[in-house]
Amino acid sequence: MPERRLPPHPSQIIDRSKPISFEYEGRRITGYEGDTVASALYASGVDIFGRSFKYHRPRGLLCVSGRCPNCMMNVDGTPNVRACACAAADAETVKGQNAWPSVEKDALSVLQRFDRLMPVGFYYKTLVRPKVAWHLAEPVIRRVAGLGTVDPSLVPETEYEHVNAYTDVAVVGGGPAGMSAALAAAEAGARVTLIDEVEDLGGHLRYETLPHTVPNALMRFGERKGGGEDFAALGYQMAKYLAGQVEASGRIRVYSGASAMALYQDNMITVHQGERIIKLRANQVVIATGAQESPPVFPNNDLPGILLSSGALRLVNLYGVSPGNYGVIFTNCDDGLRAAAQLLNAGVHAHMVVDSRMRHTCAFAEDFRERNVTLLQGWKVVKAEGGKKLRSVLLESTREGAQRRVDCDFLCLAPNPEPVTALLSQADAKLTHDEVLGAMVPSQLPDGVYAAGDVTGFQDVEVHLLQGRIAGFRAAAASGASVEDDGLEALSSELALAESVHRGELSSSPFRSTVGDRFGRTKRFVCVCEDVTEKDVRQAIDEGFADVQSLKRYSTVSMGPCQGKMCHKSYTYLISEATGQGLDVVGGTTPRPPFHPTPLGAIAGPGHMPFRMTPMNDAHVRAGGKMAEVGQWKRPHSYGDPIDEIKAVRNGVGIIDVSTLGKLDVVGTDAPALLDRVYTHYFSNLRVGRIRYGVICSDSGIIMDDGTVTRLAEDHYYVTTGTGNIDLVEEWFRWWVVGTEMCAYVANVTPGFGAVNVAGPKARETLQKITDVDLSRDKFRYMGSARGEVAGVPALFLRVGFVGEAGWELHFPAEYGEHVWESIIKAGEEFGIKPFGVEAQRVLRLEKKHLIPGQDTDVMSNPLESDLEWAVKFEKEDFIGREALSQVSERGYRNRMVGFVMENGAVPEDGTPVIEHGWPVGKVTSSRYSPSIGKGFGLAWVPNRLAEEGQLIEIRVPGGVGWARVRHAPVYDPEGVHLRE
Amino acid sequence: MSFLLDCPNCGSRSVNDYRYGGEVTARPTPADSQETWSAYFYIRKNAAGLQREWWYHKYGCRRWFQADRNTLNNRVSGTFWPGEGPAQTSEGEG
Repeated sequence: MPERRLPPHPSQIIDRSKPISFEYEGRRITGYEGDTVASALYASGVDIFGRSFKYHRPRGLLCVSGRCPNCMMNVDGTPNVRACACAAADAETVKGQNAWPSVEKDALSVLQRFDRLMPVGFYYKTLVRPKVAWHLAEPVIRRVAGLGTVDPSLVPETEYEHVNAYTDVAVVGGGPAGMSAALAAAEAGARVTLIDEVEDLGGHLRYETLPHTVPNALMRFGERKGGGEDFAALGYQMAKYLAGQVEASGRIRVYSGASAMALYQDNMITVHQGERIIKLRANQVVIATGAQESPPVFPNNDLPGILLSSGALRLVNLYGVSPGNYGVIFTNCDDGLRAAAQLLNAGVHAHMVVDSRMRHTCAFAEDFRERNVTLLQGWKVVKAEGGKKLRSVLLESTREGAQRRVDCDFLCLAPNPEPVTALLSQADAKLTHDEVLGAMVPSQLPDGVYAAGDVTGFQDVEVHLLQGRIAGFRAAAASGASVEDDGLEALSSELALAESVHRGELSSSPFRSTVGDRFGRTKRFVCVCEDVTEKDVRQAIDEGFADVQSLKRYSTVSMGPCQGKMCHKSYTYLISEATGQGLDVVGGTTPRPPFHPTPLGAIAGPGHMPFRMTPMNDAHVRAGGKMAEVGQWKRPHSYGDPIDEIKAVRNGVGIIDVSTLGKLDVVGTDAPALLDRVYTHYFSNLRVGRIRYGVICSDSGIIMDDGTVTRLAEDHYYVTTGTGNIDLVEEWFRWWVVGTEMCAYVANVTPGFGAVNVAGPKARETLQKITDVDLSRDKFRYMGSARGEVAGVPALFLRVGFVGEAGWELHFPAEYGEHVWESIIKAGEEFGIKPFGVEAQRVLRLEKKHLIPGQDTDVMSNPLESDLEWAVKFEKEDFIGREALSQVSERGYRNRMVGFVMENGAVPEDGTPVIEHGWPVGKVTSSRYSPSIGKGFGLAWVPNRLAEEGQLIEIRVPGGVGWARVRHAPVYDPEGVHLRE
Repeated sequence: MSFLLDCPNCGSRSVNDYRYGGEVTARPTPADSQETWSAYFYIRKNAAGLQREWWYHKYGCRRWFQADRNTLNNRVSGTFWPGEGPAQTSEGEG
């Protein structure tokens, strides 16, 4: 295997004193700390990194920036990891994917010979008839095509988290423009957040070893006294210098190794950084996302050995890895010539530089001649040749059409880079094609968004620094910092000058699509992700899919993992060429979030749900409570045996934690009027100290919630709501107060109070031991309330009867929860007190035919048909839901909620249908075994015609159907004797 | 959705802090016809454009207020306490 390491150089980020290693396809690959998986593999002689999506063609490194799909591998079980963006030190086992038996020798590469069977849009054309054809073919296609496979047995160890953050100015991109913007905004006093994809700031400067000359004033941010000398530094030195300034600033938060996934409305940026998603709200945003190369189209342009010049520079100047031994550089712009010079400086063996421009003054001509490097001007690469690896390229003169074949083992493509405008497009910036800059550049930016650097189409570091500085100041000013206008004006005129100078120097000639079908079936790839060729695109355009949107959908161009980063330029050119429309008219598709592929786990966020615990939670756990999730709360389902618990309540005494009830304080001179308005019942005529049950309906007459209302004073009510409904009820009350002149205030006091319900024939005796409040039958009547102390704690005593026994609901400050609970348990010991859980309570209340909104009612249930007519007071002139309920009253009942008792021993499950003549006509909402009558029973919705007392109804039960009889009265204590005891 | 809403009480907050309360409607009086009531229950303008609507600052001051929002692009042109908003234009009636 060839060793491709170059001599050390200060720009490199690998640490040769710290070797690392990992396993790749049964081999041990060694590298150094700082290497990526891809750089270590490439240094060890690996050329083929993957197999293509459709044709299984060998693919090698292309962009070396985590953008193209070529180096996706399986790293330690995770598929589709970009090897060029994955630290080698973190990898243990690396495998190729989408190939059999291996990426090196993939038997499926035979598929490319059958490309005629897979024309563009083949899934719309073939396998249509007979219908079964697709079903037979689909599993095969799915296995053969595609990317990595997910291993369902792999348990992810990652704990993802979501973070909310705010910043005055967010800067996306840590290159010279981005750092310049961040420094300027920070200098002006703004809080700044700088986001960059890689670990080290500097952008393209990090891997540049040629000098950049800029005015000194621009580099000495913060202390601009320095005078007019020019500052000249090698790119990577300048990157380090600026990064040092950013670090020293103290006002700039840096998210490194972080990708800005999207820019949403009102400057919300989502950032993916390792195991977290940061939702960053920025007052102002500077986009300095740079530019990227996308490969030109020619036959075999996907062969391993062909890579982008920026990728080659990263390999060479960051990881000290040479792209090969005998190379050609192909460019159409000055950046490409700079790249060539840098590769040669680093000791890379290239022997030819091909510039498609004619008679262009080359700043490095002398340099190339000295090194015996041939510079061809006015030539272009028209074909690459080789099997699994590049062997030679065919060149053609653009003037006379002469051809020559040149041997090489690598080819660097250096097209004029394309601005990375994804986030700008998402923000609705207008992009226009600039003929001089040769790129789609932002021409109109939305409010609060600025652009600086390569993304503007200019490729000059001085311009970038100036643009950044101006954008930084403007953003800071817009976010509230004070910035001097004259300083900005001076910078702006400097920038105008620098831009015009740079424009004058520019010339690039686009690599327009060239060769057509001259090379027969040799494939020319437009989209390397989805294996869409130039021929496919042309055919799709011929078939009428001649605009970006339909071409994309029909041909799948740009729909792969890189989301158009590698092909956008090529296919828009092809459309422009075929239709004669300008690139402005052709436009482009909006790159949708996320910018880089992002793990679903990261988007899903943390795998836990927060829940609430009552102040007596620990006591339940100690008592063996089987805790279950009820809404947001943890509640004991039972303490072991619900039937035992039921018997304790019916025959002795039981206690249940009801702290989860929603609790509202309603205060004000209009509190009675408010409650009369939102409840179907009256509350203005409730005597102080008394309690009344109430139902809340929506204006369309649907039950929203029910609960008790206690009048504590003339202008003060204490309201309880269902466990899960408190937020809804609070909103609802506030809604009916707002915009009126009503003097009524609503406070949600749910977490402030703990509550227990102590019920049973021995409840009075139990509680009387620890309170001075007179609980005697004549003094403390059913639906009465009192304030007093229980076990030394101030409490509100409510005599209500949800479970059907004499009992008290005690509400007291939450912090005394455990004390009150334990005191009552102790007091009840002699009566055999038992704590009971939600399950026992459900049976107890069901025996009393008390419904639970949401369990027994749904979005169609009104109180009239729910057997709550007694709680609806049509005498009131108006209440919420009155009109709708009168309409129900007028039209007559269609369905009704009824109690039922099973005729045999069966117990239906909740939710099972009620059947009539073989058809479902209703449903059981709650059903249990009743210890009081020893039968299955429950509540069900049935058509009105089946709602008569004693009516036989048919209910599905486990294993068949069973008969039940409608029974309107509660199965337990229908006269309420026990309740009032 | 990521837009900001200005709570008249608390100031600018992310839309996720709020609960949407639907378009502002006028509740009929008991004297109104059944048709008027039915329309109030079930019929909404569902404007494609400017709409006056209810918002509740659920994770803030828990107060209801109104906003004028363009339903096409989520741009909010104003927020205010009920009854204090500018006179409504006919835009968005469609």
